[in-house]
Amino acid sequence: MEDRTFSDIEGGKIIVQERLFSKTCKEFNIICPKMSVRSVVTATFTAWVAAYAMYAYTENNMVLSATTVSTIIGLLFYLHFVKIDQESLLLIGSLGIQMTLTYTSGKESTEFIEMHKIKDVVINEAIFMQKAIYYLCILLEDPSEPKRISSIVPLFQSAKPNLNCLVQVYNSCQEILSERKSFNLVD
Amino acid sequence: MDSHHIQSMVDRSEEGHRTCFSTTTCFTDECLHHAANRTHSICMVSDFFYPNMGGVESHIYQLSQCLIERGHKVIIVTHAYGDRKGIRYLTNGLKVYYLPLKVMYNQSTATTLLHSFPLLRYIFVRERVTIVHSHSSFSAMAHDALFHAKTLRLHTVFTDHSLFGFADVSSVLTNKLLTVSLCDTTHIICVSYTSKENTVLRAALDPKIVSVIPNAVDPTDFTPDPHRAKENKITIVVVSRLVYRKGIDLLGGIIPEMCQKYPDLHFIIGGEGPKRIIIEEVRERYQLHDRVQLKGALEHQEVRDVLVQGDIFLNMSLTEAFCMAIVEAASCGLQVVSTRVGGIPEVLPEDYIILCEPSVKSLCGGLEKAIKNMKSGKLPSPDAIHRAVRPFYTWRDVAERSEKVYDWVSLQTVLPMNKRLDRLITHCGVVTGCIFAFFVVVSYIFLMFLRWTTPDSVIDIAVNATGPGGAWSRQYPPKKRLKN
Amino acid sequence: MTVKIFFPTCCSPSENGLLIGRWLEEHRSAVVLAIVHFPFIPGNVKRYLAGLERETGLRLAVLGTWSNIKAQKDEQMESFLGDLKSIFIHRPWLRITREASIIFWDCRIEGVDEEAEEEVVLVYYDQRKVMLSELHDATEHSEIATVFDTVARNRTLFALDRYDEGPIKLTHWQSDGVEASIIVELCKQASVPLCALLSFILSLIFSVTRALGRKPLSFLWNKLSTCEQLGKRLDSLQLICGTKAAKDHTLFMRKASTLVSLLLDVILGIVLMSWLYRGDHIGQLANALMPVADRVAVELQGLLQWLMGAPAGLKMNKALDEVLGRFFMYHIHLWISYIRLMSPFIEVILWYIGLSACLGLSVALSVLSDIIALLTFHIYCFYVYGARLYCLKIHGLASLWRLFRGKKWNVLRQRVDSCSYDLDQLFLGTLLFTILLFLLPTTALYYLVFTLLRLLVVLVQGVIQMTINLLNSLPLYALVLRLCRSYRLAAGVKFRMLQQEHGKCLRLLMQINPLTYGKVLQQYRLPSSNLYPKDSWGALCKKLFIGELIYPWRQERDKQD
Repeated sequence: MEDRTFSDIEGGKIIVQERLFSKTCKEFNIICPKMSVRSVVTATFTAWVAAYAMYAYTENNMVLSATTVSTIIGLLFYLHFVKIDQESLLLIGSLGIQMTLTYTSGKESTEFIEMHKIKDVVINEAIFMQKAIYYLCILLEDPSEPKRISSIVPLFQSAKPNLNCLVQVYNSCQEILSERKSFNLVD
Repeated sequence: MDSHHIQSMVDRSEEGHRTCFSTTTCFTDECLHHAANRTHSICMVSDFFYPNMGGVESHIYQLSQCLIERGHKVIIVTHAYGDRKGIRYLTNGLKVYYLPLKVMYNQSTATTLLHSFPLLRYIFVRERVTIVHSHSSFSAMAHDALFHAKTLRLHTVFTDHSLFGFADVSSVLTNKLLTVSLCDTTHIICVSYTSKENTVLRAALDPKIVSVIPNAVDPTDFTPDPHRAKENKITIVVVSRLVYRKGIDLLGGIIPEMCQKYPDLHFIIGGEGPKRIIIEEVRERYQLHDRVQLKGALEHQEVRDVLVQGDIFLNMSLTEAFCMAIVEAASCGLQVVSTRVGGIPEVLPEDYIILCEPSVKSLCGGLEKAIKNMKSGKLPSPDAIHRAVRPFYTWRDVAERSEKVYDWVSLQTVLPMNKRLDRLITHCGVVTGCIFAFFVVVSYIFLMFLRWTTPDSVIDIAVNATGPGGAWSRQYPPKKRLKN
Repeated sequence: MTVKIFFPTCCSPSENGLLIGRWLEEHRSAVVLAIVHFPFIPGNVKRYLAGLERETGLRLAVLGTWSNIKAQKDEQMESFLGDLKSIFIHRPWLRITREASIIFWDCRIEGVDEEAEEEVVLVYYDQRKVMLSELHDATEHSEIATVFDTVARNRTLFALDRYDEGPIKLTHWQSDGVEASIIVELCKQASVPLCALLSFILSLIFSVTRALGRKPLSFLWNKLSTCEQLGKRLDSLQLICGTKAAKDHTLFMRKASTLVSLLLDVILGIVLMSWLYRGDHIGQLANALMPVADRVAVELQGLLQWLMGAPAGLKMNKALDEVLGRFFMYHIHLWISYIRLMSPFIEVILWYIGLSACLGLSVALSVLSDIIALLTFHIYCFYVYGARLYCLKIHGLASLWRLFRGKKWNVLRQRVDSCSYDLDQLFLGTLLFTILLFLLPTTALYYLVFTLLRLLVVLVQGVIQMTINLLNSLPLYALVLRLCRSYRLAAGVKFRMLQQEHGKCLRLLMQINPLTYGKVLQQYRLPSSNLYPKDSWGALCKKLFIGELIYPWRQERDKQD
């Protein structure tokens, strides 16, 4: 288990934990920066200033209570559905690849892709917002035509690590995948 | 070798009236010596690229391929075509960015001078571009890229592929914009002397910074068909987009007249466009279904197969800077009949082309002359024509010349901010100059903002596919596979 | 090379014995289903397995041995277990040993090529959950799907009771007993004749409706949403009362969801009915309805008066304006007298209609939708007249415009051809064009106003239809199942790494990843008539612009049929 610090495409710090369970089993945890107190305070403050302005204008204190409720609901929604704390990638050589997203509220959403569906793991380039970025993705095999790719599953969508970090993860993935390939070749 | 003249094939044809503009740029030995063995990182920008088909598109592609062969790093930036968006690789690792910009009119993107800046800057930085080479004055994206490249203080080259008028409102406006866009561009390339003359006049440029590098064709793609059986019919081939600019309305007049006169005459028309209906109506009205064949849109590799079916190639363009179609046809061993417009007279020596005025009568006359030549049987064989035309225009030659332009350009200094503003105001008139100077200032502030939000150091350097140390140019198979 | 062992968690505390399960050669994994305990006769075990194999069609085998060492190592036992390999021949032969107070088990693989080093991955799974869950979106060669399938198909193996004195003793997941399910069994028995009876009655009703649904009447039925709703109700009842048991999971889910949503619908309907009939709400409603209809007519009259003058300061063609205005006024007059005629009977009609709510809320709502349609019939008429007039003008203008440009529409080739016209043709065309052009604003204004009114009515009806649709298509049973028994609907699996020790086998816990709610809705949505507009907003606007009739959404579907 080792921790390394990389930066994401915006220059923020992300921590990459690598845990080796066995020769063919490895886990990567990418820990995104925590929600900063400053941004929460700024958002709340803006909402309240707007609410007080409204209140001064309408003199209806429903505005204030509505703001309180909506701020709390908004924050909960943000913590439960939007803000991702940790993204992990579990590679099990003989079974498949499992991706887990952990939200700040503790909610986890997991997706497991079986090995026989996976064609390869590659680094790809894409245009994202006003940037051209590299990202890691899993290529899924088309069950009807083994040569073709049916779809692409992008990894680390919220952390968006930079190329150095991706190359690191990519190399580890290839180590495990190549073992599977050699096993297939033996067959 | 005292000086390198960037010269065109046409230098051999003596056309007196052109002397005042044919001051070819001289790149002295000394300055080129510094630049020798230098490789550049070139970014080609144009709205027009594959899958769109046309002269500009193939020019960019072929030039890029030859530059890659010569060891330079080349990337292409264009806008997204339908489903084709994102980043793609073509042959030999030619990387193409299909940017998600809104297409406004005729495959040209809308421009606000600012909205494409963040993305273009990101690409220029991550690819470590040193020279931005824009193509076609119809392309808004090309002009945007020039503008941004100057703000980023990169070297800029512009290739003009088309001719414009001076009279109507739209060309006056376009010419003004061209003046603004080109006044601080490091170097400009035109495809023919006529085009150079036109561009210099339109954009009020110093002819010294304008070079002429013609287009080329791939002669191996356009060879005569040796197995073609001798038939006793005459076939006229037309291959062009069916639009007004290509003179399709003239064709509508030519077809019935010629068909009446020569019962053994056949037409093969390749291409697609809004004017197709004219040909269809003519065909129906005169019952020429068996003699006028409409092939529809042709793939690039199908063009040769269509060309070799004919004896005479007809080009009716109303304006043309450099006509690649007639070179292709001549290379296939056809007789060429063309209008005498724009840069066409420069393209082929007079033995290989019959020039006419852009009118039905004159073109019919030209065709009759071609038919007479054919019937008299004193024409050189298609192979002979092919052998003669073959060395005229090659992409390697074009790339070599372009390389010299790049070498020269890379030694120039890009105008700093204050000089650029100065240039704009003095060169483009006070009102326009001031407006665009304001835009320059805004874009500079915008750049400051962008550098603050995403500093250059944060941007990942792209893996080089081409150029020195490129992943694709190495001998062993690339370790990293980049797909999609 | 890796061997995976899927081991049920319920078997971990059991005594020493034999591992029974299935070997998947394709994936090199072993699915352990149960453990056979001592004492047993090898022949009996083999016979029992053969019997199971006949029943399920899956090849079961003795995969290896299981030893659970409670206190200290028993060498004799160890060697005995080792010897069993020669009786039950299986390659590879697994030997799993659990020692007391050590959570890391010792797994050994025997009977494979010596040189290949075997890595063992031990995957624990919950037998009950895996058996009951339904895996979605599984592909053909999926290992997980095969494991699920194996466990689910060996249901008979798990039916064996712990206290059953059979030929062999097994440990596997046990159900909590059969006593509680006696009532369920009785219900199941009773439901068969009930269903048969109901379906007989239904078929009778169907034959009657089919007789009514013949050509002249069907035109009327198609227009009324109530009839459609009733037809759908009959269909779903027939689906529920089918005497055959549901063949597969999808069909079963559909039946269950239909039943639950039907029940909910009826309950809501009865609640509505009880509200209506308690405290004379019907009478209030009837009293309120008449003035509203009257009011609408009066307002319309006012609107027409306004249009006949100089609406919004626009100067219209006086003559045409008058004609159109009078025409519509007469219509409203007719309508008002019709409503006056109806008013004494309204309350009685409403009283009877209210009874329909006992069939369900959706039926009541569709009745409401029909009532709205009937009460705004005049608006519909106005809209049709206006649209037809406008459409005529637009078409006329378009073809005359082509005439100016020397073009004409070629009907055969479906394209615009050029054509040379005579002078008189051009003259007449110009004349007509001018007339049409100058009369267009007047018509367009009437069209605009009535289209807006019509759109308002269509919007209200659309909202009602959407509510009905929601009631009909919501897969309530699947949603409740997802909420309370999330493992029943599996989207896939997820693995949790358990504590590892170096040198021992890799330990994983396989858990079921439930379907997301969105997927549940998508997968189990009950089929319902698609009431959303077929064409996009752009197409709708274009239709409005050129004056094509926009039908209420339901009728449009009929037209396409």
